[in-house]
Amino acid sequence: MGRYLIRRLLGAIPLVLGIATIIFFVLSLAPGDPVSIYTAPNVSSEVLEQMRQNMGLDQPVHVRYVRWMGSMIQGDFGVSFARNQPVREIVQQILPNTLILSLSAITLAFLTGILIGVFQAVRQNSLIDNSLSVVALFFYSMPSFWLALMLILIFSLTARNVWDWPFYFPASGMTSVGHEFMSPLEQVGDRLRHLALPSISLALVLAAGIARYMRGSLLEVIRQDYVRTARAKGLPERTVIFKHALRNALIPVVTLLGLYLPFLFSGTVFIETVFAWPGMGKLVVDAIGQRDYPVVMAGAFIFAVMVIIGNLVADLLYSVIDPRIRYE
Amino acid sequence: MSEVWTEARSDARSRASRRVRFRGGPALGIVLPGLPQLLAGRLAAGGYVTALWVGLVTLLMYRWERVWAAPTGALDEQIAFATLALGIAGALAWSIRDLRKGRDPLPMSRSQWGLASRAFRKNRVAVLAVGMVAFFYLVALLTPFIAPFDPTFQGDLLADRLSGPSATHLLGTDHFARDIFSRLLYGARISLSIGFVAVSISITIGTLLGAVSGYLGGAVDSVIMRGVDMVISFPRLVLLITIIALFEPSITLIVVILGLTQWPQVTRIVRGEVLSLREREFVQAGAALGFSRVRIVLRHVIPNILAPVIVAASLGIGDTIVLEAGLSFLGLGVQPPTPSWGTMVADGRNNLLGAWWISTFPGLAIVFVVLSFNLAGDGLRDALDPRLRS
Amino acid sequence: MRTIRRVVSVLSTLAVLALAGCGDTEGTRSYAGMPAFCQEVLPAVDAYMADFEQPTGERYGGTAVVGGIGEIADGMNALVSSDYSANQHQLFVNLMSLVRLDEALELAPYLAHSWEVNDDITELTFQLRDDIVWHDGTPTTAHDVEFTYLRATDPQTAFPNAAFWSNYVRGPDGVEVLDDHTIRFRLQEHADYMDSWRATAIMPRHLLEDVPPSELRQHPFGTRCPVGNGPFVFAEHRPDASWTFRRNPAFSEELGGPPYLERYIYRIIPEPTTLATELLTGNVDVYIAPLPDQAPAIEASSEVELRDFAFRNYVFVGWNSRRPQLADARVRRALTQATNRQQIIDALLGGYGSIANAGVPPFHWAYHEGIEDALPYNPEEARRLLDEAGWSEIGPDGIRMNAEGDRLEISIKYNPNQQRQDVAEIMQSQLRDIGVAVRPQVVEWATLLNQINSPDLRDFDGVVMGWVTEFKVDDHDLFHSEKRDTPFGWAGTEDERLDFLLDTLQLIVDRDEALPLWHEYQERLVELQPYTYFFFPQRLGGVNTRLRDVSLDARGEWVNLKDWWIPADERIR
Repeated sequence: MGRYLIRRLLGAIPLVLGIATIIFFVLSLAPGDPVSIYTAPNVSSEVLEQMRQNMGLDQPVHVRYVRWMGSMIQGDFGVSFARNQPVREIVQQILPNTLILSLSAITLAFLTGILIGVFQAVRQNSLIDNSLSVVALFFYSMPSFWLALMLILIFSLTARNVWDWPFYFPASGMTSVGHEFMSPLEQVGDRLRHLALPSISLALVLAAGIARYMRGSLLEVIRQDYVRTARAKGLPERTVIFKHALRNALIPVVTLLGLYLPFLFSGTVFIETVFAWPGMGKLVVDAIGQRDYPVVMAGAFIFAVMVIIGNLVADLLYSVIDPRIRYE
Repeated sequence: MSEVWTEARSDARSRASRRVRFRGGPALGIVLPGLPQLLAGRLAAGGYVTALWVGLVTLLMYRWERVWAAPTGALDEQIAFATLALGIAGALAWSIRDLRKGRDPLPMSRSQWGLASRAFRKNRVAVLAVGMVAFFYLVALLTPFIAPFDPTFQGDLLADRLSGPSATHLLGTDHFARDIFSRLLYGARISLSIGFVAVSISITIGTLLGAVSGYLGGAVDSVIMRGVDMVISFPRLVLLITIIALFEPSITLIVVILGLTQWPQVTRIVRGEVLSLREREFVQAGAALGFSRVRIVLRHVIPNILAPVIVAASLGIGDTIVLEAGLSFLGLGVQPPTPSWGTMVADGRNNLLGAWWISTFPGLAIVFVVLSFNLAGDGLRDALDPRLRS
Repeated sequence: MRTIRRVVSVLSTLAVLALAGCGDTEGTRSYAGMPAFCQEVLPAVDAYMADFEQPTGERYGGTAVVGGIGEIADGMNALVSSDYSANQHQLFVNLMSLVRLDEALELAPYLAHSWEVNDDITELTFQLRDDIVWHDGTPTTAHDVEFTYLRATDPQTAFPNAAFWSNYVRGPDGVEVLDDHTIRFRLQEHADYMDSWRATAIMPRHLLEDVPPSELRQHPFGTRCPVGNGPFVFAEHRPDASWTFRRNPAFSEELGGPPYLERYIYRIIPEPTTLATELLTGNVDVYIAPLPDQAPAIEASSEVELRDFAFRNYVFVGWNSRRPQLADARVRRALTQATNRQQIIDALLGGYGSIANAGVPPFHWAYHEGIEDALPYNPEEARRLLDEAGWSEIGPDGIRMNAEGDRLEISIKYNPNQQRQDVAEIMQSQLRDIGVAVRPQVVEWATLLNQINSPDLRDFDGVVMGWVTEFKVDDHDLFHSEKRDTPFGWAGTEDERLDFLLDTLQLIVDRDEALPLWHEYQERLVELQPYTYFFFPQRLGGVNTRLRDVSLDARGEWVNLKDWWIPADERIR
């Protein structure tokens, strides 16, 4: 197992380096001078030159590449152009926010997705099965930023100003102003309230895929002999489904976890922007617009690592759930 | 196999029983194609053809002048004209053929495709979804005849701006007093073509690479699969945004980039299929007969992997349309004044508090089209996968 | 199943830990994990501030939350920032400038209680207040001012507003500290020599002296732990989320004493609809610059009021006169006259704006009312001008051509921004009527700057842009023929009289003497039409009625933050 892990991780290194290299060269091909973004009008060309020097942009591309690779391998991502702050510090402050959002969204998505899928499989081809498919896919088919805005208009604006809900959902941020003065219990409640809309809008998109997968997988398992045997033994349907079938049916669903970890990034870009959630997606997108190369590079690097971890997690979960699978 | 066989037989029997039997059917079928079948209880086929016929004829009546001028007009008008003509002719032809078939039942197809198509037709949701997709494409093609206004025409900025849905402006106007309904119709062309073209690109690349990789194996396979790993591990959106933000966003760039970043999934699917196909008799036989590898891939392997590819394509088009909307949200989608649904939703979102109709209608359009593609894709998958046919 | 349950329980435990763990409580603040510099200075600030009693009185207390769509990217480091909200926070929140503007936009003392200048305007001497203390207890002295000046004029710092000092003697020769509270600068005679001191916040020498100038930009002072001397003390910055400041109880009584608000928070909410929702649901008290389209919803709310005020920015289309079809001023005037600017203001800005004909804003003393109607909307006149300029043939597609058969076709570039896109699209639609083909073209910001700024590229016909002017209007870099090949010489103007006016205006100190020339300058701009000036947008603001005495004006939204207060029974946080 340990050996397998090490081999996988070693195998991932060239992949990550390759991705980083490609992003680096795409960025360096791009037109536009980062320096001109950070200056006011009327600035002289000497000042621009000086800034370029201060930012290390005066070197030719290959020198910058070697330098950047060298420091990145040592864990130094450089200093953000736009935020005047070491990238590592920024990432340390911002990565946890994205993780909180994506993990809660994933948890929520798997819970609802699996539930819906099981329900659909049990009632295969019924009206309920079909309508659940349609409803789940309905949310899946929405542009996520639009779904997010709708949720805000309904559960924040209308809920407070029209329906007078005492606990309407806040439209933005991770905590309320004054969070630090609350009791620990209130703090958890406050965080959950802020987490609700963003994680629901992310989870709704994911849940459809999970439900679809769960349904198919359970249908396949239900037809297998051991399930028939269990039924023949006279076990109640509930036991058959939950004790016997579900466990095996979950195996392929769990592998989705690995696939969704990276997917979450693309979702979070929009969700983070709409809900003013200070996370990686928004950080990187802003950085691209501002030609903040160090941040873009670090972001791409982190996302690539996340994908690899995601795949690894999926494989490991596989072996945890299915004892037949052993990695050597 | 026996199960399937009986099912097919009972299906054929019930089909025969629902043939048009009443007198006057053929005459009615020419005046209103589809209606006899509809009356005979074949809701899907009859309903679609009736709706198509009624729609096209209504259009022809209301927009007679535009249709008349179309053959000498711009390219999109000519296309619309051809669509209209083909649609009307097709409906008639189908009607006549189907009514004749009623007297002389054709033998049921027993091929894999025949089985799949029957399984598919039993899935009402999927049939409806395919109908919706066809409807949207038809509307997109006929847009020059349907749209009441030029999509970039700006009305009176003071009087007509941000006016809600009304008789003149069915879906209201935007902040330039442009007609949302017309823009929605023209936007359909852009959004649907973006999805279609981008997916065509990714399917072509993905299928070729997957087939080659799976069939040749060895070094070629591992090189291609490393490439796939790399592109898949790439944060796609970062790459998309980087490239589009750094270079000027144009429809071509967006379509090509979307297409070029989507192929690895297809490659994986196809490679898996090919790996299993490679061991099957007919491929082995071809190799034994000394056919070239290229010929075997093109003639024997690719046709057999079409099924999963079609499913991937129909799901992929939906995803691409949603993704284009996302890019528009970041200001990187199709650029104005060309309307795409994505840009319409994104541009209208600042008016959500006051003029909800600007982004709501294109938003709903996206949802319905993508939903249709997904449901159709799901139905196809179920129908094409023998294990899921119940 | 058991494994799954285990996984779920581990996940949920982690989640609860994550949810509860991230909050830190005021009072027991920990600076672990911050840069060493911060671990040193922040506790010093806490210790110093703890000695002061908080003021009491009915107006004192409460928290105000201001929401804006952008991060204060450059933070409180005045030596490297070029960003509006950063500048505002430096001047009015965390730091202090030597002088400020009063409500009549006249100079008023602030950190300097008086100043004098010799007759030929070559020596400027400031007397500083002696009761201003940095938030860590170190007094603010003339040495801090000297330090700021030396760094700002040091090319290695790359001070972004270098033009502030173009008429000053840069470096150590230009400054002399006479005593702890007296400082003298050497300069050349020119008008508006004080404006630089209004716009530049003074930085603490004792904290930053040892930092090499080229590393100032990335120093943690700016965004991690600024130490100011202004009415509010920095408390916390969460990137992309918020900046928190608390009251400085030690702020000079003579300058009005400590602020009423106990805390002031700036929140970053990038999506306008979300920000409007937060304003309307009371989670944000002030919305900086709402969109005109959102004005009706804000006006309709009983909890919030909509403010509008004249501001210093204007939106224009800059024409590249190097292009053959735009070389003739008559063509450029025709383009302006064929555009119904008033209609655009009414429609796109909801009426919140006024037509601009030159870059001097209406509240400025040098503003020329006489040119307000100089270029009325008149498509007939525009057609006549185009005919006169040789574009008299009309092609089969309705587009004008000249004798050589070239089509009158213009691309207008803009960066992804709704308002600029709107301007380009409307021009396209309206200019079609007089036979001009306009092609709007969006270009991402950094690329656009590159295309229009590079003297050897200038890859544009027209470009939609906006300038925010300082109170000192100086278009030298935009229109002087000497500056034709410098980054901002977009228009490529070459006009002797304009050159003369630009040169002279910067020298005349006496306003009465300068005014006729200012008027002539603006008339000349109308004549030459290097830009189609579009409008001076009124800036909007959404303010919760809970907040009292909020004044929003041309000086900026934060100008009197110190005087904002909330009645005790309306405080909700």
